[in-house]
Amino acid sequence: MNHARHLSLALGAVAAVLIAAACHDAASPQGTITAGILPGHDKGGSQCADFRLTGGGRVDKPEPETGKSPPSSHDFATFGFQARPDAACPFGMAGSGNIEWNEHLGTQFGGGFAFHGTVTMFSTPNDGTETNPQCGRFGGFGRLNPHNGPTEEDVSFEVNHACDVDEPGVGKDHIYMRIGPTADGSIYFRHSLLSGGNIQWHRLTGNN
Amino acid sequence: MTTKILLALTLLAGAVQAQTVTGKAFGTYVNALGVTSQSPVATLPSSGGMATGQADAFGVAGAVDASWLNAVTTGAVDNKKSGAQSTSELEQVSAAGGAITADVVTAVATAYFGQFTGGSDGEGSGFTNLIVNGEAITTEVAPNTRVDLPGVGYAVLNEQIPTGDGLTSWGMTVNMIHVVLQDALLGLTTGEIIIGSASSSVAR
Repeated sequence: MNHARHLSLALGAVAAVLIAAACHDAASPQGTITAGILPGHDKGGSQCADFRLTGGGRVDKPEPETGKSPPSSHDFATFGFQARPDAACPFGMAGSGNIEWNEHLGTQFGGGFAFHGTVTMFSTPNDGTETNPQCGRFGGFGRLNPHNGPTEEDVSFEVNHACDVDEPGVGKDHIYMRIGPTADGSIYFRHSLLSGGNIQWHRLTGNN
Repeated sequence: MTTKILLALTLLAGAVQAQTVTGKAFGTYVNALGVTSQSPVATLPSSGGMATGQADAFGVAGAVDASWLNAVTTGAVDNKKSGAQSTSELEQVSAAGGAITADVVTAVATAYFGQFTGGSDGEGSGFTNLIVNGEAITTEVAPNTRVDLPGVGYAVLNEQIPTGDGLTSWGMTVNMIHVVLQDALLGLTTGEIIIGSASSSVAR
């Protein structure tokens, strides 16, 4: 089952790249595929990981902009996650953990949504951020719960990268979230520096 | 020389001491007329990890109405670096009989510790389309802003309460709307409403 899901996730990522027409860092409108040639996705494969990641907080403007959206804007998301490899290198890229992602922009997946994902893959990134040793990549499947629409199960997601750049992480740590394609072919992504919260990278020591 | 050795040993001991994290988040808490009611609470295990609490809607007549309540807390502990981050979010919020409304209420509390230093903050907390006593608030609300609510009491908006000693422990509690209910004649506190609460702390 896990192998099938990994294959599906990989095929989904490839499909997103092939379908895409233009790079767009902001969240994508509902019912359209705005993902472009995802930055750096042609830079080679991911590697197994000997670290884990935790994080949570808020993201607003597309990278490299920083700060919060104005108080009248719904253009932001909040999140929390924990993710780790199932086994230390060199034993593959199976992963475990969870992610919550709450999008408030009304044009997304039926008026904003809550996404509850389960991590099945964990590795180093392959989108160019792998040059930072404190970045990780993970993905899996989850439940998409739009504010104004039916719940959709088994929707794939991928955090192309989550990077721990400094403490505290506001304005420095960054995350790239992609959800979909959904049943109608929509893909969501948001790529931002943190406007609140933190991401932490922890080397696996055998005790953690 | 002896001093340097002692300092090095102290730093080394600090680096390998066990660290702890705490995290907690919830959407609403109401204590009024002797009745207490609270939406689902996310509480971080002391060893770190992740906890969530969600509800599609939550209401206590005359006190609070809200939808899409999401509380998340995550954290990790190891010898070199620990951290906890908690968020609480609600949408379509109405508090204190409609004296305070907002499209979205977001609380974020973060605490972290590197090898030799730590900190905490409430960065990322905010309101979307906040209205207080019928007046739209179009700018960011500064931490610990007090507003009077005639006939109700008062509220502290974006309440931020630092915790810890700043040397071995750091923490932050954010309550985005903290209504203190008061008796109209005597001014005595009769209850409270907390909306959008997130807390995080670390200790070494």
